[in-house]
Amino acid sequence: MRLFDGQRAWVVQRISALLLLVLAVLALPFASPLDFSAWRAFAGGVLGGPLIALLFGALCAHAWVGLRDIVLDYIQPRGLRLAVLSLIAVVLLGVLVRVLLSLAAAALST
Amino acid sequence: MRLDIYRFDPESGAPPRMQAYEVQPEAGDKKLLDVLMRLRVQDDSLSFRRSCREGVCGSDAMNINGRNGLACLTALEGLKEPIVLRPLPGFPVIRDLIVDMTQFFAHYHSIKPWLISDAPLPERERLQSPTERERLDGLYECILCACCSAFCPSYWWNPDKFIGPSGLLQAYRFIADSRDTATAERLDFLDDVYRLYRCRTIMNCTEVCPKGLSPSHAIERIRLALLRRSS
Repeated sequence: MRLFDGQRAWVVQRISALLLLVLAVLALPFASPLDFSAWRAFAGGVLGGPLIALLFGALCAHAWVGLRDIVLDYIQPRGLRLAVLSLIAVVLLGVLVRVLLSLAAAALST
Repeated sequence: MRLDIYRFDPESGAPPRMQAYEVQPEAGDKKLLDVLMRLRVQDDSLSFRRSCREGVCGSDAMNINGRNGLACLTALEGLKEPIVLRPLPGFPVIRDLIVDMTQFFAHYHSIKPWLISDAPLPERERLQSPTERERLDGLYECILCACCSAFCPSYWWNPDKFIGPSGLLQAYRFIADSRDTATAERLDFLDDVYRLYRCRTIMNCTEVCPKGLSPSHAIERIRLALLRRSS
């Protein structure tokens, strides 16, 4: 787990926070509701697809570090801690895979 | 003057309780410790640590009206009555206001709180420029009273693995020292999800330090030193 240990997790948390902030500001002009076809065209585009992937990548990385911190603080029994961490990892990876699959589908259909 | 003091005697087998006291301060009693010393004459079973009575030894750290502090530096004036005294939160209680500091000092020792230098022994002393010496201001003054660590939620949850604000402030004191050559080893030791990164910048440590130091600032400097090293 060196990938998300010590300093790296701390850096990942900060970089992903910055990305989330920047992407949220970028998303503001799109705050007005778009219809499904417009969204699909945006998600399938050369700019929209990677941006949405980046947004969810940053979101999942940020959520992982934050939730892991909470688990390390409050859940002390090893077995329960491992179970909860695994559940969080599976859910976050599931979200990420689902988003990437949708983006790929949108890109293929445009 | 009314006080409510946490009492616990492990030999009696009775659970901890709060005991009410009434004491009349005399002229010249300015600090909480003065009243505690007067109380001890009334009830010699009341146990607490004290030594220098001037904020240098750090022995009489306790929780005063919900806030950690040194009894000898806490002015009686302005203290809300009854003054509620409890042992340092999160630390195992030995008796009354006396806590077990073993783990706290084990963390302190783990950061190797001494100068490590592979430079040849100087004839007289290791010199520093005034600027280099200034970098130790706000660090060397720590008296290890544990007010900060015992007020840190991250330390409450992981007292066995998180070094705590006091130990980390001391660690940075040696990282910042121009005469110390073991900075890389010190940083390697601290780069751990528990030892350093349990700190969530809650800043209770800085808020409560009776010497006015800022452990959270020192912790931030350690993180930046780690970042600078890896970039």
